[in-house]
Amino acid sequence: MIEMSELMEMVKINELMNIIVNNEGIMSHQMDVPLLQPLIEPMLELPVINNLIAFLLWESFFVLILIPGFAVLGILLLILPWIERKMVGRMQWRVGPREISPRTRGIIQLLADSLRFLFQEVIIHKDAHKRYFLQFPFLYFIPVLLPLLFINAGAAGSPLVPIVSDYGLQLMVALICLMPVFILGLGWASNNRFAFIGTIREAFLYFAYEIPFIVAVFAMVVMYGTSGSVGVVDAQAGGWWGIIQNPIAALTFFIAALMATARLPFDIPEADQEVSFGPFVEYSGIAFGLAYVMGYEKMYVLSALMTMLFLGGGSGPVIPGLGEISYLIWFVLKTLIVMIVMVNLRGVYPRYRLDQGMKIGWNAMLILALIAVAWSSIYAYITGVGL
Amino acid sequence: MKKIATPEYDLKDKLKAHASALATAAKEVVAPLSITTQYPRERRKWPDCFRGYILFDPERCISCFECSFVCPANAIWMKEAKSGRYYPTLDYGKCIFCHFCVDSCPGGALKSTKIHDVSYTNMDEMFTDTEEMIEPPEIIREDEGYVEYVIDRDDLTLKRTKGQDNLIVDVAPSQGVPMVSVCVDRGSCIACKVCEKVCESGAVSSSLDEAKMVIRMAIDSEVCTGCGLCVKECSMQILRLVRK
Repeated sequence: MIEMSELMEMVKINELMNIIVNNEGIMSHQMDVPLLQPLIEPMLELPVINNLIAFLLWESFFVLILIPGFAVLGILLLILPWIERKMVGRMQWRVGPREISPRTRGIIQLLADSLRFLFQEVIIHKDAHKRYFLQFPFLYFIPVLLPLLFINAGAAGSPLVPIVSDYGLQLMVALICLMPVFILGLGWASNNRFAFIGTIREAFLYFAYEIPFIVAVFAMVVMYGTSGSVGVVDAQAGGWWGIIQNPIAALTFFIAALMATARLPFDIPEADQEVSFGPFVEYSGIAFGLAYVMGYEKMYVLSALMTMLFLGGGSGPVIPGLGEISYLIWFVLKTLIVMIVMVNLRGVYPRYRLDQGMKIGWNAMLILALIAVAWSSIYAYITGVGL
Repeated sequence: MKKIATPEYDLKDKLKAHASALATAAKEVVAPLSITTQYPRERRKWPDCFRGYILFDPERCISCFECSFVCPANAIWMKEAKSGRYYPTLDYGKCIFCHFCVDSCPGGALKSTKIHDVSYTNMDEMFTDTEEMIEPPEIIREDEGYVEYVIDRDDLTLKRTKGQDNLIVDVAPSQGVPMVSVCVDRGSCIACKVCEKVCESGAVSSSLDEAKMVIRMAIDSEVCTGCGLCVKECSMQILRLVRK
């Protein structure tokens, strides 16, 4: 005979064990993958694993942590510098990384580099502000990773976004605009003349690209009549991508993204030959490794935003059997293409001077951004979008 | 004074230049040309006239001492072989690889190769005997192939060619000009017989004329190799080298 209190205990444990499976909010937003369905269904019957599987396949978790979130970002951080070095090497009649694992053409080069960074000594010189010097490279991850919460990687009609918000674009832009603050901070904490010059250049360039960047995003908000990441992708349904609807805003956004990530031809703050990697000059070891991937992280976020705003998010033909994952694959592919175009520009263009970069930011790009807003306004007035 | 103004580009030219730059980059990504030599595995092809290790062919040597005379570093010493003839030995500790000896050899007995990174364990080993000069040293090939960049004459593009370098080039040895030693002033000969002693090929002979009590020297032009040793050594300087 089981006593009443024991029975209550068992019911409580049973409830606790199925806390995720019994959650209606999570179970109604599961990833729809027809190919894996026969595998998943028997697993959902098992007592503990069902919670794990349900949590893994929860749309918000899957999109934020796996694809196109942190996992893909981590893999791309390992592969993208290799792609960049290899392709720029081909452009410049060189070979690129090769000596580490020649059979795979040196694809694990960055893994080897990061291992070396890991075992190198992190030198903090005595004039540096020790606390800020060490904190800022880590704090930088906050503004870089948070925008991924509002990325919509789905297609029109089937959104895949971790947090649905009507102010997704504003939040992303605000977080992206926060990034240079950390670079300024670590440049100041380095207490080095090159770091100082690089920081000042970063600050100048920050003002030059920030306003056209925000205005270009604003133009698209006017165009789509919404600033939520779900509505933005829905407005690009039927192949009417943002780049076709408003190419001027796309161009402005792309150039601003180049400036924001300090890629050539706008690598003015980091200019290797002039200020030897600018704000990051004092970093060594794993701290340098973090500083090195900063640019790539920022580029990933900006490319993802560009894919969402101008390239239709994850829209594309559905791959049979993969269901919603096919949207994620299209999204990552588009992001990767944008990133490859961005990194390969360093093989094509020389560096602008600071004054030229400022002139481009305050003259051409601001004018282009304003034209884009006018274009969007006329479009919105004629079609009555968002009124 | 001539002032040069900065060239003016309008928007159309600028866009055209941007498009051309991007198209070139895209083309190179798809079909690139590499001018990097993967050094330990590949090497640049050495020219065929590379001045490296010197090989010696005793069949062609006429023991004229010319290589030894011409050597500016005094690296070549003539050594007497068992046959009584003199053959060169080479001290690579002194050799400056000018290859004057190869150029000056009338019979083409010395030959240059592309072998240039020979290793020795001590200085004495660098003194190479005649026997060691006949065969090339033991070669361990590290280079899997060579790379050469050839400019295509038709469309002026650089082309990368590959192959295995042949370190010992087969160059036909110079035949030289057949020379023969002749005496131009027989009346001045003092019959010191230096030419007979010095002659390696036995072309010079002497005979005693009993009637006149004089010694007559004779040079057999068929046997004479034209090495010119007798010409150098003749105390009266009455011998000359002439074309056969």
